[in-house]
Amino acid sequence: MILVAFVLVSVLALVIIAVSRNHRQMNTVCILQALIFCLLVVYLVVFQQVPVVSFLVGSQYFFIDHFGLFEVFIATVIFTCAAVYARGYVEGLISSGELEKGSLKLFYSAWALLLLVIVLAFFSDNLALFWIFAELTTVISAMLVAILSARENIDAAIKYIFVASVSMLFAFVGFIFLFEVSRVSLGAGTLNWTVLMQHAAVFPPVMMIASFALVFVGFAAKSGIFPFHTWLPDAHAKAPSAVSAILSGVLLNVGIYGIIRVYAIVHQTTAVLTIAPMLALFGILTIGIAALSMLPQKNLKKLVAFSSVENMGIMLVGLAISTPVALFWVLFHILAHSLTKASLFFSSGILHRQYRSRFSSDAADEIRDVFRLQPLAAWGIILGGLAIIGIPPFPIFYSEFFILLQLGTVSVWVLGVMLILLFIAAVGLGYFVLTTFTQVSEPGTQSDIEPYRTPASMKVPVIFLLVLLLVVGIVLPSGGFEFLNQIVMELKF
Amino acid sequence: MIDPALVVGIIRILFVCIIITAAYIISTRNLLSVVSVYAIQSFTLVCIALALYSLEGSIVLLAIAGVTLISKVIIIPYFIATIQEKIRIKRDIEFHYLSPTTSLLISMALMLVIYMSLGRIVEGTPARQSLFFFGAVLGISLMLMGMMVTFSRKRAITKVLGFLSMENGVLLFGMFVTELPFIIEFLIIIDLIILVILTTILSVGIDSTLEDYNKRLHRFHLLEESEEVL
Repeated sequence: MILVAFVLVSVLALVIIAVSRNHRQMNTVCILQALIFCLLVVYLVVFQQVPVVSFLVGSQYFFIDHFGLFEVFIATVIFTCAAVYARGYVEGLISSGELEKGSLKLFYSAWALLLLVIVLAFFSDNLALFWIFAELTTVISAMLVAILSARENIDAAIKYIFVASVSMLFAFVGFIFLFEVSRVSLGAGTLNWTVLMQHAAVFPPVMMIASFALVFVGFAAKSGIFPFHTWLPDAHAKAPSAVSAILSGVLLNVGIYGIIRVYAIVHQTTAVLTIAPMLALFGILTIGIAALSMLPQKNLKKLVAFSSVENMGIMLVGLAISTPVALFWVLFHILAHSLTKASLFFSSGILHRQYRSRFSSDAADEIRDVFRLQPLAAWGIILGGLAIIGIPPFPIFYSEFFILLQLGTVSVWVLGVMLILLFIAAVGLGYFVLTTFTQVSEPGTQSDIEPYRTPASMKVPVIFLLVLLLVVGIVLPSGGFEFLNQIVMELKF
Repeated sequence: MIDPALVVGIIRILFVCIIITAAYIISTRNLLSVVSVYAIQSFTLVCIALALYSLEGSIVLLAIAGVTLISKVIIIPYFIATIQEKIRIKRDIEFHYLSPTTSLLISMALMLVIYMSLGRIVEGTPARQSLFFFGAVLGISLMLMGMMVTFSRKRAITKVLGFLSMENGVLLFGMFVTELPFIIEFLIIIDLIILVILTTILSVGIDSTLEDYNKRLHRFHLLEESEEVL
């Protein structure tokens, strides 16, 4: 029944947004919605026997297991932070005329709806249902990208929709294959993940390879994996920063989540011998392309977006190793990457408001006097940057370290290549920070830049996420580890 | 009861119709006729679903036929045609990478490749009569041809049509390969409608004429600092 609670809260939120008059009300509703979702997740984890199976009558459509809960937990945390951040950020957008007042209602309705759809996607047992929700997340988030209705935003949104949806149709064909496989092998066709997992061992490998390849095309596009990553830097850089954080921290996870789910089925057949190298190849290529694109990048948000692409590549490589330990750290990496990336986008959003170039968001950022004008955002970028390239004690250090360690047991050469690529990515980020953050206007000259008064609501999420990252990195909560172990067990690795 | 052999013959003819419509969508430059050809293609799908129903008697096929008729033959083409009138573009003469002739040649090659590779994949599975196999091949080909339209055309609204024709391919493939539960098909259509509405509305922003575009730029302070235009 708890699923109904999620839906009811969202419907209520939508109704209140529809009748509310000003921005603050709508924003408060969204913060509350995300918070309530967060509490519901905590309630499920603490008081309920997970996996919870029966919600809707005779349900074969939804279920809640540890993996779903884990993803939903990340999503709700990021959404809460992003909603708080949006309070100040959207106000800035309105006062500068980038967002029309009339679009506010649409913006927040899409926001509330997006959270609900994401939660439903993570709780779907039926893969086709999951597909549809994943597809809806694309459509709704594209709406959030296009909301600024400058031409380049619409361009980016349209590119996003077409690349993602066209690829997702391939994923659907993959699911049709899977359905047919289960129909032939089990007698009755099903797309229920739990059922498929039980009987995965009897599926014919050739069909599984075909089906996984098609599904992979779809979800690779959703999570920005080479060669389907082309939409990602545009959409992430042009979206309002609060939305960028969600795109990067939550929506990319939807794609990886889909890949992991289907990979868990494939993992039990011999098809995995063909598929694991394929995943590794795409992972390495993704990291390579992202790292090389980061090097000459002059636009902060694009840089951060490419770093997301790189991290998706790392997850893919970790998945390809397909040992339980590697999967464990991939899951940890998902968590660490989402939190870090959200905080990075929040900080760069503040800088974007300060230095926003009047012509295009493609242009190089003209960042000057950053420590005088926006000290918090500057430190946010520096610390977040250190976190994302995997400096201890930030959590990404552990996940990257152990994934690399596992990779070393498989192939030292791949390990070497990956280390070089990770180093290039780190250099790209470091170079950007060193060159732009050290630009100071000459003493004595009158600086013509007016300082942007950053509202507290934009500062709090940055600080909160950085502290959270440090806590996760230093304390490494043991309860969380147990939880991740449960996921690894449920995925039968 | 209709003679099954006759039904199979009819389905084969309908297959040919689908290939013709797909080729037309790839090569034509007149936007309005692309929309009507899309409607014809969807209607052909409805006919195929009905023909299959008379062969197999599965009620799901009937439902699919009904939903397809309402959504893809009537609502979506009507909607797109209305939008097209609004943005006043009649012809889409810009092609990105592929000229129509090359795309036709490529799609022929694609069909051949799909025929061979799909033949290898389904080799082991039982009950692959030639008709169903052809349906699957045609479905995937239609999908890839739609994809070519999506990526070779410049106008967003033609891209939408390419995407829609892709989705027709998926439907065709699904009908011939297996029997999906109806609820799934239905949800896909809903998704499709939302997607079409959103992308066409966005494409109004992008495909509209230059004056509108300049007005937009002014409004968002992108062109130059001028007085507020509301």
